[in-house]
Amino acid sequence: MKIINFILAFFLIAFNSTSYSQSKRIQISITPTFEHQILHLDDSSFIRNDWNNLQIEVLKFYISNIQFLKSGKLVLEEKNSFHLIDAADKNTWNIVVENHENAIYDEVRYNLGINSSTNAAGALGGDLDPTKGMYWTWQSGYINFKLEGTSSVCKTRNNSFTFHLGGFLEPFYAIQFLSFFIKDQQQINLNLDIAQLLRRIELSKQNHIMSPSTDAVNLSKIVAESFKISEN
Amino acid sequence: MKSKFTILSALFIILAGFRLSDSLFVTPPHFPKPNYDFSKNPLTKSKIQLGRALFYDPILSRNNTISCSSCHSQYSAFTHTDHDLSHGIDDRIGFRNSPSLMNLAWKSSFMWDGAVHHLDLQSLAPISNPLEMDEKIENVVSKLQTSNIYPNLFYEAFGDSIITGENTLKAISQFMLTLVSANSKYDSVMLKLSSFTLQENIGYNLFKKNCASCHKEPLFTNDEFKNNGLPLDTTLNDLGRYKVSQNPLDSLKFKVPTLRNIEFSFPYMHDGRFKNLKQVLNHYTKGIASNNRISDELKAPIILSSNEKVDMIAFLLTLSDKQFLFNPQHSYPKEILLGTVKN
Repeated sequence: MKIINFILAFFLIAFNSTSYSQSKRIQISITPTFEHQILHLDDSSFIRNDWNNLQIEVLKFYISNIQFLKSGKLVLEEKNSFHLIDAADKNTWNIVVENHENAIYDEVRYNLGINSSTNAAGALGGDLDPTKGMYWTWQSGYINFKLEGTSSVCKTRNNSFTFHLGGFLEPFYAIQFLSFFIKDQQQINLNLDIAQLLRRIELSKQNHIMSPSTDAVNLSKIVAESFKISEN
Repeated sequence: MKSKFTILSALFIILAGFRLSDSLFVTPPHFPKPNYDFSKNPLTKSKIQLGRALFYDPILSRNNTISCSSCHSQYSAFTHTDHDLSHGIDDRIGFRNSPSLMNLAWKSSFMWDGAVHHLDLQSLAPISNPLEMDEKIENVVSKLQTSNIYPNLFYEAFGDSIITGENTLKAISQFMLTLVSANSKYDSVMLKLSSFTLQENIGYNLFKKNCASCHKEPLFTNDEFKNNGLPLDTTLNDLGRYKVSQNPLDSLKFKVPTLRNIEFSFPYMHDGRFKNLKQVLNHYTKGIASNNRISDELKAPIILSSNEKVDMIAFLLTLSDKQFLFNPQHSYPKEILLGTVKN
């Protein structure tokens, strides 16, 4: 019996390693940062007293529709491409895309947020399950990007700021389309720098956006501009 | 040969699936095609039963006291009788009258202001509203997971006893989709199985002339948002559709409600301000507040004599569907829920 198990295990390993070697896997790592420091909201908030007693408590956002292009032509796209990135959970920071056809590419594209047709599709599962806390309840629609925290410049209750950015209907369609030119690399490192984002927001005046609006669309653009790609 | 067999088998399974769905949801012959995409959530008996249990179970609320049926009771066409504004958990008062629930498969948006655009996601709103059930869907799922009955019911319905938000919401949708009202006297007249009395017929003609452009047959709503000239209640300052669209042209617009089972769905309007049908007709004949955003259909005055109002009401009562209101398949599932009471 043991021998049979051993043979079975051998074939399983052999089969798996063959299938891995046949296709390249592309890993996209998305790291939340604050002035180049990793922003990991593990068990506690991120605190920067030198930034007006800034505390970041929640940072979550959707990355979707990952595509690879060569000279502007689509060569590879991830199926069912919806990823919830959570600063509190490092396991969500890495996305693996199977490149079965060994496509050659020089550009990666993705969306920040969830597109209209997915928003209109009814109840969905996985990272899109409404239990993930990224779906508005009082009205329909996914929250594309969530940032919550406190700062002494916010003259609000508990000095809080809350940004829940979303909206899937014009004129408040908040999704952002991002694109980076890359080498034909298997490891892509992106980071979203919250310090860069917060430098462009006047927190004392703008500290609560929680519904689809012009402000939500404008801030979504700033969030998108805060993504950077780093060299390997 | 093998591929032909596979295609034929697939075709058979698809057709069998449609037939199964058909028997659980039948489009009445005089109704249009439903708006709901059943292919994304095909109806099955076990999913409908699960949804029915969830609809009637207060486990959806923070302190397990309020169920969907608290504000949507079957005998009143699944709305909340006697209350202008519906009340929820801890007797907190909401700011609108709960809408009646029927023929939801034909609707393209939900709530008085259309804030919800898909039936599957509708239940999230009352579950999390602090004035209604004041609960989080995450907590609902974990409570269901540790209950005595739900892991089995989800296994029977979805082949998985691990409960998700997606499956919870889809099951509730399945039950709500079965709430089809199409067996009123009006329906039997349309299907030429009976006829109106003289008075009902006069009322029907008056209805077609004055009301049918918004309360469009056979659903008795065009599912649009209209400003019907109700003066703003300054204790509520409810601007309706404007809250969702932020378009000033949508200020004071509300969803046109169905008139089916209107005999039982009082009080009327989004804030329940009218207690009876006579008050409603009086509003349309002499109560419309002049404002420049009133719907086009109401710009010309509606003139009805007292007798004509009585005739109109006689017609409106033909929209009552007793089979729907007393259908045991829509009622409290005691066979499922009464076994769950803990000592």
